[in-house]
Amino acid sequence: MSMEQTQALPLEKRQKLLRTAHGGTGKRTRIPVKCRQRNRFIPRFLTGVVVLTAASLLYLEIDWGKLISRVPDIGGVFWQLGHLDFSNMDLIASSLLETVSIAVLSLLYSLLLGIVFGMLAARNVFRLPWLSVLTQSFFTFLRAVPTPVWVLLMLVCLGMGAEAGVAGLCVHTTAFFTKSFAQSFESIPDETVEALEATGASRLSIFFNAILPAALSQIVAWAGMRLETNFSECAILGMVGAGGIGYVISNSLQGYDYGTAGVAILLVFLVAYLIERMFVRIKKRFY
Amino acid sequence: MTKHIPLIARDLKRLYTGFLIAAVVLFVICSILTEFNLMTLIANGDAFWTFLTEDFLPPALPRASRIPNILSSVLVTLALAISATTVAAVLAFFVALFGSEKVSPFPRFAKVVRGLATFLRNIPALVWAFILFSSLGIGTGVGFVALCITSFAFMVRAFVETMEDVSQDCVESLQAVGATFPQRVAQAILPSCLSGFLSWYLYCVEVNIRASTIVGMVGGGGVGMTLFSYIKSFRYDVALTIILLIAAMVIVVDQITSKLRKELQK
Repeated sequence: MSMEQTQALPLEKRQKLLRTAHGGTGKRTRIPVKCRQRNRFIPRFLTGVVVLTAASLLYLEIDWGKLISRVPDIGGVFWQLGHLDFSNMDLIASSLLETVSIAVLSLLYSLLLGIVFGMLAARNVFRLPWLSVLTQSFFTFLRAVPTPVWVLLMLVCLGMGAEAGVAGLCVHTTAFFTKSFAQSFESIPDETVEALEATGASRLSIFFNAILPAALSQIVAWAGMRLETNFSECAILGMVGAGGIGYVISNSLQGYDYGTAGVAILLVFLVAYLIERMFVRIKKRFY
Repeated sequence: MTKHIPLIARDLKRLYTGFLIAAVVLFVICSILTEFNLMTLIANGDAFWTFLTEDFLPPALPRASRIPNILSSVLVTLALAISATTVAAVLAFFVALFGSEKVSPFPRFAKVVRGLATFLRNIPALVWAFILFSSLGIGTGVGFVALCITSFAFMVRAFVETMEDVSQDCVESLQAVGATFPQRVAQAILPSCLSGFLSWYLYCVEVNIRASTIVGMVGGGGVGMTLFSYIKSFRYDVALTIILLIAAMVIVVDQITSKLRKELQK
């Protein structure tokens, strides 16, 4: 409000305006509670999400009525799953062991492969930009395809068995390790590498004597994190045709043998939970 | 005798030695259990190469009449992932409020809520899909619910951790002046944690794009189902095209989410 406009107002109003402008005593003013420096992007993002979700739900054309009418059946299935049937315990135990072993084996093989490819992908090891770009983009492609797809393809060319599972899981795990190890290698301070370069050490000996030891604790942490994922991926594999506990679960669910499926699912949960707990404890001890 | 100065701290050395021993022991045990032999893989190398060069490469286009179908199945996968994650995120937000001892109006039940989330989370999405298929039948709706369950449980945990990391003193001071539970949520938790929540949401979208492809393979619809049918009918060259399509989809979504995440954290 400009000066002339204020002058034009009647006296009482003018006084009131002045009082409020000078932290007036007459009228109760509110302290603004809202923070003004909020990220302006968030409201736009939220609207975008809502619109996209509404569009997707419309596009999917899910028959909600039918779905909801069958919800009580879920209770029935859980009731039947709860009647644990331990008669097939030896089959369940052996396939669970197989699943865990496949998860661990693929983890260990990919650990080695991941270090080799991580070395190629890291920019500070060989200092060949084209090599790291090439490796990185190849593994980005491998990582983008879900694991079961790789396992299915491995099943085709290697036949049924643990080999296909290990090889298929290795593809994705190696791709994951390559990216994360390359990141760890690149986070090594450049001074270390340069100091060794100045002594005339070869590229490989710089890698094995400076970069790898410094990244070792991160590698151990990544491996622990990946074990969790690998186990649950491995439990899934059986369902798309490979062996292991997933096959037992899908097979017994499709054959209405809910008791066996219940035991198997419970065991999968327990092992996954144990791995998670173990990892949390290790993390607490070393960080 | 010369004395060596140890180059790395002793406890670190113990950790690495322990890790190495554990790795070797596990390797031996697992190799025996699964009868896995690297040599058989290498011996089968020929079969591998013939498969790769003759059946798999080069990628072939499917029949022209099928192309619109395939593209719409990609859209179904995307739609499934986005809608399931959003619904799960909204539910997870409200449940997570009760899952944190510091925030929840009923601190005693916080453990129960978290325990339930742990249970739901540690069973893979595909197992949920199978359990639901046997009660709800096969279809996109079931894939939606299965994805919802796991991402809901994951986000409950992530949201609880975000809340406990960020907004301790803010919540406490509001509680001290007598703010009610909804006020505390709206004035302390939402402003400080929202960007954290949203970046977890984006992470979940990324995960669910992959997961919805997998759930599709066993009957949830979408591009996974298309891929599975081509693999089953031995059309590997067409399958490769679809695999490339899936990879492109995942990479594009990852790029978009990482851009968005940067925007959100500004």
